Amino acid sequence: MPFLPSTRLMLFMLGSIGLITLPHAWHIPPLLFGFFTLLLLWRLLSVWQPRYLPNRFGVFLLMLLGIGLLYSQQHSVFGRDAGTSLFVVALGLKLLEIHGRRDVYVIVYLAFIVAVTQFLYEESILMALYILLVCGVLLATLITQNSQAPQTLAALKTSAAIILQSLPLALVLFVLFPRLEAPHWSWLDNDTHAKSGLSNTLEPGSIAELSLSPELVFRVKFAGDLPPPAQRYWRGPVYATTDGVSWRAPPVLGRENNPDQPAFTGVTYDYTLMMEPQKQNWVFALEMPTQFGAGLRRNGVYQLITNKNPGDRAEYQLSSSPVYNTGGISKTERRENLQLPGKPSEKIVELVKQLQGRQAGPELFIGNLLQHFRQENFHYTLSPEAMPDKPIETFLFERRAGFCSHYATAFVYLLRVAEIPARVVGGYQGGQINDVGGFLEIRQADAHAWAEAWLEGRGWVRFDPTAAIAPERIERGVNVDLQIASGAVNFSPIQLDAKTLSWLQRGRQLWQSVDYNWQRWIINYDTVNQRAFLQSLGIDNFVKLGYWLLISVAGVGGVLAWRLLRPNLRRQDPALMLYRQFCAKLSKAGIKVDVGDGPKTVAERAKGLRPDLAEAIERITAIYIRLRYQSDTEASDLQVLKKLVASFRV
Amino acid sequence: MDLALDRLLAAANQVILGKQPQIRLAVCCLLARGHLLIEDIPGVGKTTLSHTLARLFGLEYQRIQFTSDILPADIVGSSVFDAHQQLFSFHPGPIFKQMILADEINRATPKAQSALLEAMEERQVTVEGRTYPLPQPFFVIATQNPAHQIGTFPLPESQVDRFLMRIELGYPSRQAERELLSGQPRHVLIDELPVALLPAQLADLQQAADQVYVSSALLDYLQAILAFSRQSTDFASGLSPRAGLGLLAAAKAWALIDKRQAVLPEDMQAVLPAVAGHRLNVGANDSAAIVAPILKHVPVL
Amino acid sequence: MSEAALPLKQRLKLSRFFSGEAPTAGPIVLTQRRVFILPTQRGLAFVLLILLLVLIGFVYNNNLAYLLGFLLASIFFVTILHSFKALAGLTIQPARPQAVFAGQAGPYSFQISNPGSQPRFAVDLTLQSELSISLAAEQTQIVTLYQPTHQRGWQLPGTLTVSSTYPLGLFRAWAPLRFDSPLLVYPKPANQQLPFPESGGGQDKPGQNRRSGDEFDGVRVYQRGDAIRQIHWKAFAKGQGVHSKYYSGASSSELWLDYQQAPGHHLEERLSQLCRWLVDAEQAGLRYGLVLPGLRLPPDNGAAHYRNCLQALALF
Repeated sequence: MPFLPSTRLMLFMLGSIGLITLPHAWHIPPLLFGFFTLLLLWRLLSVWQPRYLPNRFGVFLLMLLGIGLLYSQQHSVFGRDAGTSLFVVALGLKLLEIHGRRDVYVIVYLAFIVAVTQFLYEESILMALYILLVCGVLLATLITQNSQAPQTLAALKTSAAIILQSLPLALVLFVLFPRLEAPHWSWLDNDTHAKSGLSNTLEPGSIAELSLSPELVFRVKFAGDLPPPAQRYWRGPVYATTDGVSWRAPPVLGRENNPDQPAFTGVTYDYTLMMEPQKQNWVFALEMPTQFGAGLRRNGVYQLITNKNPGDRAEYQLSSSPVYNTGGISKTERRENLQLPGKPSEKIVELVKQLQGRQAGPELFIGNLLQHFRQENFHYTLSPEAMPDKPIETFLFERRAGFCSHYATAFVYLLRVAEIPARVVGGYQGGQINDVGGFLEIRQADAHAWAEAWLEGRGWVRFDPTAAIAPERIERGVNVDLQIASGAVNFSPIQLDAKTLSWLQRGRQLWQSVDYNWQRWIINYDTVNQRAFLQSLGIDNFVKLGYWLLISVAGVGGVLAWRLLRPNLRRQDPALMLYRQFCAKLSKAGIKVDVGDGPKTVAERAKGLRPDLAEAIERITAIYIRLRYQSDTEASDLQVLKKLVASFRV
Repeated sequence: MDLALDRLLAAANQVILGKQPQIRLAVCCLLARGHLLIEDIPGVGKTTLSHTLARLFGLEYQRIQFTSDILPADIVGSSVFDAHQQLFSFHPGPIFKQMILADEINRATPKAQSALLEAMEERQVTVEGRTYPLPQPFFVIATQNPAHQIGTFPLPESQVDRFLMRIELGYPSRQAERELLSGQPRHVLIDELPVALLPAQLADLQQAADQVYVSSALLDYLQAILAFSRQSTDFASGLSPRAGLGLLAAAKAWALIDKRQAVLPEDMQAVLPAVAGHRLNVGANDSAAIVAPILKHVPVL
Repeated sequence: MSEAALPLKQRLKLSRFFSGEAPTAGPIVLTQRRVFILPTQRGLAFVLLILLLVLIGFVYNNNLAYLLGFLLASIFFVTILHSFKALAGLTIQPARPQAVFAGQAGPYSFQISNPGSQPRFAVDLTLQSELSISLAAEQTQIVTLYQPTHQRGWQLPGTLTVSSTYPLGLFRAWAPLRFDSPLLVYPKPANQQLPFPESGGGQDKPGQNRRSGDEFDGVRVYQRGDAIRQIHWKAFAKGQGVHSKYYSGASSSELWLDYQQAPGHHLEERLSQLCRWLVDAEQAGLRYGLVLPGLRLPPDNGAAHYRNCLQALALF
């Protein structure tokens, strides 16, 4: 049978393929995506103009072109990007070659593979829904292919029904199918795309850039109480080396063996921290982490480092204690943390002197310094004027306006001039509580820099000069929405009032909560999580798992089969049902009722055989005939018939 | 009016003895505006029946004896040239009467048969391009000898469908035959019969029959019958939609004769042998036996 | 309608899956006993696709890839139910077959009804010929499939296979059905047109007795005794004198077709020739009778007689 795909089938298919490939525009080289788009449009055009389709030789040439493009762009067929490009190009080429039903299937199957490669780039709930929808359209393509002439809408409805019916079973398989830790194949790795966030270097403007970004960095769910806002410091890189303008986090390798382990006292917070994909393998623990899982280590500057791929979402179980004593300091460490880029200027030395830097103890000097910030008209602003030259001096003596990194670096610089070991600590501060999900969300806008000074007998102590001039920054945290509303930051032409804002916030929180659970239960459902979850169900070995799998699949399948295969008969006339009961009673009494007998025939025969029941039989027959065959039915007839049949005794 | 109908049936039963069901069916056929085919051997009272009915209904009556040499013009009439007036004038045939007895219709050639059947169907006659309407009401009772007699042209299958009913009279019972033999000659009785129903009353009755209520449950039953006839291997051909309409009209008239305002399955069953028997092409003549499988297997409930 | 339970031995017979159970007369309702389901080639490819998706999920530790794989696996399973649903409940009944002459394609009609409230799409019916139909809810359709005929006599239809790959083409559900509804095959009419035989078997004289009929034959000058309605009034009106139209009756010759008189070397050839004569005689509107050894059908014409004669030949 010659195969002529209908226009509708082709449009269906090309539409769904366009949709399924679209997000790859951001993932694969533009040249390859352009090639694919060209092929798709070509095929689309030939739906109406079949003569534009290339012949076999043309397809062969295009294939060579595709291979050439693939090779020039990817140099490999392995790995995520290369594999994705390969499938996309193959799909595009196959589109030009539809000769039979088989080809339609090959295309749809390829499209499913392309769909799954989307998940290698993005695992958000929206992407999942999007792919689910497009899969629905793909299935509808197959339905159109297998039925003579169903309406487009009917095909979509059927495919939606099939997907909905399949979801429960898919979830059972998802939960119970054993997750094995896959070996990490290095050749499959691809660089993650540039992500914003803290880096090894603290540039003057770097945190200000972040402060506008609502991008999520990590979420924290506490097992018990939350620490007070003033203690929510999430420790990141430690910047100890400076050239006077920028600060760098020195390579951490040499400083692993710190002489003293920190001592912890007081309250301990247990929490789960879920990192979004990052550039660096840093884990931002609450100061100061006491316990952490196997995949983590704490380096010499008390920062947690993970050995997992930072590009993946990851979840960590941590404990932290805000009261700690890091103990002594090694000579190297002391020297490193007193490093200055040349001699300090006269003005600075004067200031340190004025604040009794060298005479009094370090604590007094620090107190004076913070006092100085508070009293001398210093401002907190997210958009300070640029200070390209001698930033610290300009900041301290001229502008007196800046944000956390200005204060922290200036603070540390002055401490070092006063020969107190000090360093800048980067990380995040605060976080927004999600009322819906009951967890803390930390965004890039929460990026912060503070200072740390080593004090005899207390170890490294945190000082936050920003808190001195803008305590509300620490107490309440940065709220991007508020900043937008107050006009401090403005990139939206629409002015939002407080009410809209609270709705916005509420909506965002709800969404974040949904997203959190999505991450928690779907994306991060790995070997460890599965084992924990299955153990909570009492499944601790593979045999039991096998039983569970079998029983649940059979159970869900059974319910489905029962729902689907029920015969759907037409609703019967209630009068007829009652009359059938009556006939059944007659049959019990030995009065035969044939299928072809009308009610009067039945009544005559019954009266003849049982004259004693004549009256009841006549009444039932009369009402039944009225209900079923006459136009003058009375409202109460059905009720009366019901009673009569019920009370009919033979 | 109901009483008039009762009187009519009673009077007919006085003349034709022991044939109540057939008389009732014939009256039913008339009320349903259908034509009647009586199939039986000569001499069982076909003519008497039709004559009696014509009398009782007060209809103009004409008997046409069909022979092998009868021409269409002998039935419908012909145009004759009047030499004095130099004009053609139409001489109407015997068909221009309210009640026609077409006797031994299968003796005539197919051409003559179809002249009658066309007139029956269209209730008008066309001769030389001019159309002449037939009187109202118009009712044909055709009789047919059993097909196996030599020298006959059985009605084609497509044409028996024009008759709403086919009935058989059969031999009278012993008692009826005794009464027949001992009583007055029938033609005397017929001449004495009073007109029981005026033409206007007949028209009213026909209208009343149209208005008898039919429930959807009954239509379900009717459709089941039609479907069964089309599926069953017992029959050579299924019932046509026209047969379905005829069955419904006959059942309505039957219910009316029974003084009911709604059709019951029993009405349908009563008229089924007469209405369906000749349309199922079984070859047998016993209508009751032909439709027995339908009555037995099609569920009423 | 409930069917009698099938003994285990028959239940496991392989032929049941392909050629169906023993022929029955009645309507067959497609139930789990009649309907078989197996994945198609595309279905097997779909399994490979599922495995590939799960493999991608495994290699990249990607739960959504797993999820899509499992979703497709569930769809695969659910499609089994849908495939069964595509056929379940359909009622198939053989309709009255029309007799044919040997060599013609034998038409077998089946009535297919969908009693459910769901429409059925793309139900394929295969005998020797194929047909694909769609049935709306509570719809009944009569389909005719053909199977070649070679020999006269009763011929049973082969296995009617009702199948569907709806909805996704991953599975094929099929039901092989055999019906006890034989088709009557008449002998093949001989090719050569021989003249009708001289009448011999009948008592009536052959030839034509002319009589007044209804076929207009011509006009002749009026003679006394001609009926008034036979006068050709139009000619008279034109002043051409009085003429009468005369009519000839349809030829009423009676023909006896006798097996003994039919030329041919063996039985089939003679029957074939008789068949040819029957066809010709009916078409010519003659009255004919048939004489076979042990059977005598008196002369008559009309469809019923024609059928009887042909049936006698077919079953002789």
